[in-house]
Amino acid sequence: MQIVAATKDRNTSPRKQKIYQRDFRKAQQYQESVWSLCSRSCEMDSGERSRFLEGSSMCSPWVVLVFCCLGQLYADQSLKPRIAAPQLATNNPTLTTVALEKPFCMFDSSLHPNKSYVVYLYVMKESASAISSLVTDNNGKPLNSTFQQTSGGHTGPYKAALFNVPNCVSPPKLADVGDVNRASDVLKQYLFRVGDDGTCLYDPNFLAVCNPPLSPDTTYRFKYMLVDSTEGIMKEQTLWSDPIKTRRVKLPLKIDTWPGRRSGGMIVITSILSVLVFLLLAGFLASVSSVVMRPEDSPAVTKHISQTIQQSELRPQLISE
Amino acid sequence: MSEGEKGGSGFLLESTTRREGLHEELKMAKSDDGIRILQGLLVFGNVVIGMCGIALTAECIFFVTDPHGLYPLLEATENDDIYAAAWIGIFVGFALFALSILGIIGVIKSNRTLLLVYIILMLITYAFEMASCITAATHRDFLTPNLFLKQMLERYQKSETDNNNDSWMTKRVTETWDKLMLQNQCCGVRGPSDWQEYTSAFRTTHSDADFPWPHNCCVQDARGSPVNLDGCKLGVQGYYNSNGCYDVISGPMNTHAWGVAWFGFAILCWTFCVLLGTMFYWSRIEY
Repeated sequence: MQIVAATKDRNTSPRKQKIYQRDFRKAQQYQESVWSLCSRSCEMDSGERSRFLEGSSMCSPWVVLVFCCLGQLYADQSLKPRIAAPQLATNNPTLTTVALEKPFCMFDSSLHPNKSYVVYLYVMKESASAISSLVTDNNGKPLNSTFQQTSGGHTGPYKAALFNVPNCVSPPKLADVGDVNRASDVLKQYLFRVGDDGTCLYDPNFLAVCNPPLSPDTTYRFKYMLVDSTEGIMKEQTLWSDPIKTRRVKLPLKIDTWPGRRSGGMIVITSILSVLVFLLLAGFLASVSSVVMRPEDSPAVTKHISQTIQQSELRPQLISE
Repeated sequence: MSEGEKGGSGFLLESTTRREGLHEELKMAKSDDGIRILQGLLVFGNVVIGMCGIALTAECIFFVTDPHGLYPLLEATENDDIYAAAWIGIFVGFALFALSILGIIGVIKSNRTLLLVYIILMLITYAFEMASCITAATHRDFLTPNLFLKQMLERYQKSETDNNNDSWMTKRVTETWDKLMLQNQCCGVRGPSDWQEYTSAFRTTHSDADFPWPHNCCVQDARGSPVNLDGCKLGVQGYYNSNGCYDVISGPMNTHAWGVAWFGFAILCWTFCVLLGTMFYWSRIEY
């Protein structure tokens, strides 16, 4: 493709080429900075690269660059530690822990059948990447810094765990986690929980690699490293993971317990009852006043029942007359 | 006014009086029917009031016995006025029952004093029931998820208590929540994430790594230990209870408060009609 692009460009007019070259110089400055990020996976020597740049600048350096970086991003995804599948571990990350997927099939190319390997996990705060993100010393040996030495990954990466190389051929099936008997095996094979051990920091007899809780509301990066366990030399490492932030918490004092607007039922009950009790009192006053104000000799509209009974006794007399 | 006295006068006078008397008599027979109907209605109304009073008492007694064991939660929020409403409801129910008997006797005997006592006592009871009804309706609104969330975070397994009362309440809230979460397979108020989103008294004593949420949120086996603790901590489906307890708490509370408020309201509306009728009746009785 590069050759095709180059031959095509040779046919363009000299004036056009001049403009291209002016643009090219500007573009090159930018490209160089991006290349420093990209260079790892685009496997070219410097000669190849300059030829490639020259050729591409003639047509469309940006398109090529974007394709390059997209391809690189894609390649990187499989070479970075990743957070465990969210449909499996719903509570992740928590305040002080992050569950990571183990490096399945990441180191296949470096494994020799007759040697034994272990995987180291390094953890650092994102802020530490400015200070030091190196995980090997000058001889290619992995660093043995601990949580305390790096003040919890603040000054540089610390070794959080070591475990066997996960089996690429038969990875655990996530669907099996529903089976109570196999759940713990599946979880153990599939993921690693950073910050799981709450006691090792305070236990003077604890000599293995300590994996103490992380700090809340902090961004961390993780890296897996393949180490030849007999020689103790780094064989391969992944990139630093994308930044992963632990949860932050809110204070319960801030919770507002005021219900806000009132329910309709409460308004209905209160208003109707107020009206009713007002009417009742008015009715009571009216009836009392009507009794008090009534002149004593004036006839009442209704009579006492005994009176009507007396009157009905008169009926035969009236009829006889 | 008696017809008999007038019967002894002259013919002309006699005939006119007789006609007048007949008129009056017809009118009286009519109003006599009216008064009998009113009497019947008042007796019926009082029977209904008496029965509703018993029902209200029964309902409120059921409520205050706290069959779901949720009273400690309300008590700790210092917002247990719904229970106060229920206690008033018990009293009012009894009072209504007793007064309805008094009312029936008063109406049948057409005794003014008895009916005056009935009306005054009924008005007082009416005021009490109004208080109960409005309290229940108002405090139903206060039972928000946030109320229980805040209280749960502040009280559940709190280690340092200020005084005896505080420690007693904390103990009861903790017990209630433990029981709630175990029996109803729920966790937190809205869900287990309540324990992750907020700091809590529980968090200060239990590390996040080992207790992202209380172990009572984990699905338990027959022996009462988590089926798979790691799965529970990671939030793997099937090993923790993902639903919140708010429905379990607010469901019975709301039903009770709703019952006390609206049943009370219905009784009050009915009593209003009966009382107005009684007042009318009372003002028309002669000694």
